Amino acid sequence: MSAIVSRLVQALMVAILIGTATFVMMRSLPGDAAWRIAAGRYGYDNVDAAAADAVRAELGLDGPAHMALLQWLGDLVRLDFGNSLVTGQPVVDEIAHQLGASASLALVAVLLSLVIGPPLGILAGLRPGGRLDRALLVTSTGIKAVPQFLVALVLIVILAVQLRWLPAAGHGAARHFILPSLTLALGLAAVNARIARDAMARIADMPFWRFAQWKGLSERQTLLRHGLRNVSVPLITYLGLQFVTLVEGVIIVESVFGWPGIGHALVHAIFSRDVPMVQGTALVLGLGFVLVNAAIDLAIRHLDPRTAA
Amino acid sequence: MSLLQADDITVRDGTTTLLAPVSLRLDPGEPLVVLGETGSGKSLLAQALMGTLPLGLEAKGQVTIGAQVLNSGAPDQFRGLWGREISVLPQEPWLSLDPLMRAQAQIAEGHCLVRGLPPREARIRAASDLSELGLADAAARYPHELSGGMAQRVAIAAARAGGARIVIADEPTKGLDAARRDEVANLLLNEMGQSGGLLIITHDLALAERIGGQLIVLRAGEVVERGATRAVFAAPGQSYTRDLLAANPENWTGKAAAAPAGTAVISSRNLSLARGRRTLFRDVSLDIAAGQVFGVTGPSGCGKSSLGDTLLGVIPPLQGQVQRQPGLHPFAFQKLYQDPVAAFPPRRTIGETLMDVVKMTRSDPRDVDRLLDGLGLQPDLLARRPGAVSGGELQRLSLLRVLLRRPAFIFADEPTSRLDPITQARVIKLLTNATESDGIALMLVSHDQALIRNTADAVLPLTPPCDPARAAAKKRVAIALQ
Repeated sequence: MSAIVSRLVQALMVAILIGTATFVMMRSLPGDAAWRIAAGRYGYDNVDAAAADAVRAELGLDGPAHMALLQWLGDLVRLDFGNSLVTGQPVVDEIAHQLGASASLALVAVLLSLVIGPPLGILAGLRPGGRLDRALLVTSTGIKAVPQFLVALVLIVILAVQLRWLPAAGHGAARHFILPSLTLALGLAAVNARIARDAMARIADMPFWRFAQWKGLSERQTLLRHGLRNVSVPLITYLGLQFVTLVEGVIIVESVFGWPGIGHALVHAIFSRDVPMVQGTALVLGLGFVLVNAAIDLAIRHLDPRTAA
Repeated sequence: MSLLQADDITVRDGTTTLLAPVSLRLDPGEPLVVLGETGSGKSLLAQALMGTLPLGLEAKGQVTIGAQVLNSGAPDQFRGLWGREISVLPQEPWLSLDPLMRAQAQIAEGHCLVRGLPPREARIRAASDLSELGLADAAARYPHELSGGMAQRVAIAAARAGGARIVIADEPTKGLDAARRDEVANLLLNEMGQSGGLLIITHDLALAERIGGQLIVLRAGEVVERGATRAVFAAPGQSYTRDLLAANPENWTGKAAAAPAGTAVISSRNLSLARGRRTLFRDVSLDIAAGQVFGVTGPSGCGKSSLGDTLLGVIPPLQGQVQRQPGLHPFAFQKLYQDPVAAFPPRRTIGETLMDVVKMTRSDPRDVDRLLDGLGLQPDLLARRPGAVSGGELQRLSLLRVLLRRPAFIFADEPTSRLDPITQARVIKLLTNATESDGIALMLVSHDQALIRNTADAVLPLTPPCDPARAAAKKRVAIALQ
């Protein structure tokens, strides 16, 4: 119960911090915001001083900062995220539209990473120092060391350009999912394979693992009955932290593959100083982090009765 | 027909022989105890019989279990016998249960996967195993919700669920107090019954005596003596066995009547102490005078160590006062720790650590040599690191370090519980001699009542905290044993 309350407080703090921070950041960016917004609305070629002034007057960009901030946070409390400065559509509608695309991409990526990473990690952890363990260490360190946009480009060059197996970009069909989700999944799997490997190696060294074998269980039965559940606890805990990596990855990967999701929208909103959109997307991502971690807390409490005590 | 027969088991590490040829047989209903100090090779013997020797060690010899003849040099052959013919009771039952699985499921999986019963029937059998052991209400509990004694019983039931008739127990009473030790001994004997086999590996003389049956005494990888346990205990044939039995605190000569106590170095009045919400003890008043040995005894968890820490001023009391003799430096109140390995910095030589103390106290470096001599320690130990020194030597070195501070009071917290009997007797002797000759007040804490009885001038028995679950469970076991 107290865990849920603390997560609610956390969500509130996240909302206030993101609201204030995005506001301050957007105000302090160099350049005339009115010009950029006008350019976003009408196109760079059609902007003149009159259009910029019209935007300035409409949005009250000249007013004192603290008043604007209070109004800003007040709107947040009423769950009113305002309209996009560029399209004029309500931010909520825009985000709802993009969030679906991002969430499905992220979900596929997480599932894919769980198919790749933990099984390899568990196999490596059962034979620490073995060939698979060493190969996995090198591979996962290598993948983690390469920036994600480069991984994306390498995959595009090999699988889309050279082999012509998959589309390089696009959205709509199932095959469009493969490259962007694989890019994200490799980055996630590189880490959760290590987590699974370390957890497995630690568990296989514990007295209860040996005891399970002495009881007469086979290697396979020991793994299924006493290994997986115990490995899943640190793995799921870490999944909550990986959400941060996932958000970073989504922003980059969506831009590279032209995926019409929330990350893509965030980048565009920043370019065109669409402050309500920036805030809305950042808020959704921040609250998503709290929500995911709350769900993980509950899952861990269910899996590991010791944490409930 | 014996259950298990082993012929000429040897264990070697490369060219070093760790265990000289040992033969033994295990008969139904007659337990076999292998007794020895740390490093005697007794655990290696058990591992060779199980096929669980660590990598790099090589075993030779023949093991006959039932109708099967196995080569102990080929450990893979043993795998199929685990749980079905031989079962092992682990040293630390608490850590041997899966922390995320309920007690009953851990037993039922043996019935189901090893013995081959259908899942439903396996659950029923597991539930009846538990209620036979007086643990009917523990079926749905997780290991962290079990007491140590309950975990031990669950582990025994889980080990035997596969149908194995032979139980090998390696130090089953490590770190247990006398009451719990007898409880475990009875439980193992009861589980063996008339048709099972029981092999116990231990350094605990009281456990060996309690188990009875046949005895093999091992020392440095060689059999010193063998025979019926009762006969060997009554009339040991070898001088080593005699030393070993004499080292049993039960057999120590009691302490001579104490001289009248002088002024108290440390005293407490109406001391009460709590850990969390649980009260450990109430109204403890004591006086410890110079040269006096004050014994504190009681089962694990009753607050023995906390009492000592409170006297030292490390833990604040809940109520009451502690008075130290005025005019003494705070450093004159010292503690001797249970685990000497943990009490020394691992990556420095012992000499360096001791010289730090000499520098800090500005004492004479020759004190170290004098004390080394007095404690029967070789000077070349100073060049080694803590990991390269035996437990008994290291505990004497940590006594040396405490004595360097010229203490007025030493709180010795289970100083010998990790040492084997002969070493224990030696360390206790040195400790009491040193404190007596230097006029140091000693508070000796131990779970071993015989040790305290035969060492201390005054004894404070601490009563166990009330734990209804355990008390009830104990009663049921007693009924089951009748």
